[in-house]
Amino acid sequence: MTTQTTGVPLRAKPRNTPIAAVKRGSVRKSWPQYLSITPFYVLFLVFGAFPIVFSIVISFTQWDGMGKITFVGFDQYRFLFSDSLFWQSVLNTFIIWIISTVPMLFLALVIAFLLHQNIRMKSFYRVAFFIPNVTSMVAMAVVFGSMFSDQFGLVNSFLQWFGGTSAGVQWLSDPWGIKVTVAIMVIWRWTGYNAIIYLAGLQSISTELYDSARVDGAGTWRIFSRITVPMLRPVILFTVIASTIGGLSLFTEPQVLLANSGVPNLGGTNSAGLTIVLYQYYEAFNKFDFGYASAIAWALFVLVLLFAVINWRLVNGRKENAFGEAVPGLFARMAQRSKSKKEV
Amino acid sequence: MAAFSRRSFLTGATSVSFLALAGGLTGCSSQVSVSTNPKELVFWYWDRSMTPSVLRDAAHGIPGTNMFLNSQQPPTANWDTKLRTSLAGNAYIPDITAINSNVSLYFPDESLFVDMNKFGAEELKDNYFPWKWEYGLTPSGRMCFFPIDSGPTGFYYRYDIFAKAGLPSEPEEVSAAVRSWDDWIAFGQELKAKVGSYMLIKSGQLFNQIINASPERFFDKSGKPLYMEANSAVKQAWDITVKAIKAGVLGNQQLSTDQNAAWISGKTAGHIEAVWWAQILLSTAPATKGKWRLASQPVRAGNSGGSFLAIPHTCKDPEAAYRFVTWSQTAEHQAQAYNEVQLFPSAPAALKSGLMKDASKGFFGPQNSLDFFTKQAETVPAAFISTFESIASFFTAEITNVEAGAKTSDRAWEDAVNETNRVLQKNGVQL
Repeated sequence: MTTQTTGVPLRAKPRNTPIAAVKRGSVRKSWPQYLSITPFYVLFLVFGAFPIVFSIVISFTQWDGMGKITFVGFDQYRFLFSDSLFWQSVLNTFIIWIISTVPMLFLALVIAFLLHQNIRMKSFYRVAFFIPNVTSMVAMAVVFGSMFSDQFGLVNSFLQWFGGTSAGVQWLSDPWGIKVTVAIMVIWRWTGYNAIIYLAGLQSISTELYDSARVDGAGTWRIFSRITVPMLRPVILFTVIASTIGGLSLFTEPQVLLANSGVPNLGGTNSAGLTIVLYQYYEAFNKFDFGYASAIAWALFVLVLLFAVINWRLVNGRKENAFGEAVPGLFARMAQRSKSKKEV
Repeated sequence: MAAFSRRSFLTGATSVSFLALAGGLTGCSSQVSVSTNPKELVFWYWDRSMTPSVLRDAAHGIPGTNMFLNSQQPPTANWDTKLRTSLAGNAYIPDITAINSNVSLYFPDESLFVDMNKFGAEELKDNYFPWKWEYGLTPSGRMCFFPIDSGPTGFYYRYDIFAKAGLPSEPEEVSAAVRSWDDWIAFGQELKAKVGSYMLIKSGQLFNQIINASPERFFDKSGKPLYMEANSAVKQAWDITVKAIKAGVLGNQQLSTDQNAAWISGKTAGHIEAVWWAQILLSTAPATKGKWRLASQPVRAGNSGGSFLAIPHTCKDPEAAYRFVTWSQTAEHQAQAYNEVQLFPSAPAALKSGLMKDASKGFFGPQNSLDFFTKQAETVPAAFISTFESIASFFTAEITNVEAGAKTSDRAWEDAVNETNRVLQKNGVQL
């Protein structure tokens, strides 16, 4: 607050400058407030900031979690770049993310749209759709494990009864089966959550828009695609960002679903269910290679950062380009383009 | 609401939270042992890993010392992480701890544990199975991990299903019919053809149990990989497993839901696992009581599981801790451990003591499982488990890929060797 450049005692100086006096006074006056929020910051420093900083340090070392810590420079990162298993985990994460997020958000939007109609027992459905989100994932993995079990699963029995293949689908041992099952678990858990968010967005859209559309003779689908979706764009973007973060850090589902007694969980057949965080967990708590696990964590951080920037560009666009001209965001540009096309 | 102002509320709340924080922080001023009481030795174990009555006695005083034992059970789920964390932080370390069959993971940090040869453990060597004793020796020959129980393996099978298939079904007949792995696979093919049942749940299980019964494993004591050598034990186990996969006698049941359903329904009519699996089977498939029998697995029995006792270097009184360790694992106490929590002894004298009662309660019909495993334990070979075996788990993962039809066996073998070598090099092993 004050720089001690003169010989004047620190205490005397602020009295001469009214602004500093106000600031100082306000600190003194509101110390209980500052004091009351310090526990959070102290706890954050100890349990939040310190581990973050320490994990950077650890990522430059070889450490088994209890013995000597050896500094190895960039060796962990060099290994990471050449580690096919890591790149496979990145690919898996993206595939599972795409095949779960796209159907999930679409389904959520449809459910929200239907819940927004004048139907009976609205609150019941809202609660029902949200319940998966607050159910214990570990318990659900047991249920999903039984349902999608390769040889004794309910889903396969159902498919066979329906006249499908006699062997059924190898949900938990076929590479694609694993990815689809994990994705279904994600969809099951998060669709209701996103639907509730969309519903909140829908409720903020003025009914006049719908009314006038009806008067103009628009059907339900036209109203949905021409009014609801465009008006919901900011909400949709929010859910896309939220599910990107959730998708990139996917862990619980493959961990509990593919847990195999006696063998460390590397994501099942051909490591098809190995996500980035599952690989990180494997390195840290099965291999006790904390250096490499930290390096994976920071690689994931860079990936998330990359996506945050992409998302940010999509939403906001660059405010100005190198020449100082304003550049609209991608979505704004797309909207502009379609608008000008229509005018032509 | 009007009783106190916002300011006084904030002040009060703040001082309360500061008090709590101060309490938390003073706890951080490193206390090396879990307990500060100089007469108290803290012992970490998990449920059913030690004899309850022995622990109760030790709580009143460890015989021959003036110390007493405080037994604690930290959460089992992250056992190794918990122990590592306290050792890394040099704080809240137990004075004695149980460690599971994965002791080799602690070999690189053997200096963190007391060498029990210092107190004359060497003299007790002959009281225990040589193979079990060998597992607890570090590569440099220090005795850091003292034997608790052992896990001799056998071939569990469904008597009723074998009989239905018209195959040998009495334990002696089955043991005689599956002397070699080729016989075992041929037996399985007949079983499959006649009643459609598998011999074993999955390839990884077969592969691991063949390794568990082999005197040679993945590495030698110097850390040199052995699997790349011509005709190595690992390659032989691999080839047997591939043959079993191709013969169609393995169930490809990778996860526990499928496995449990398979055993209960009889879709899989066998399993190769240690003595402790009987207890799991008893609770998983109680309806199959009386239908199971035990036969010798091909070639010889192996060891799967079984835990150890260790004394961390920070122990208050290593000598008293050593007294507890040896006293709690006398033949008499190991016999008691079997009767109380079904821990199979690692001291042969316990098995001959006549104090133990078969725990299978008719699960294996008239067959006595205790007699059976006592005989198996004698054939288990001594072997060295290297700390690098956690890296070699790629072999199990890759054989599973062969079973799932995702890779050819040659390709999977190559991948397993390359992956393992790559991670070994990263961990500073010269190839």
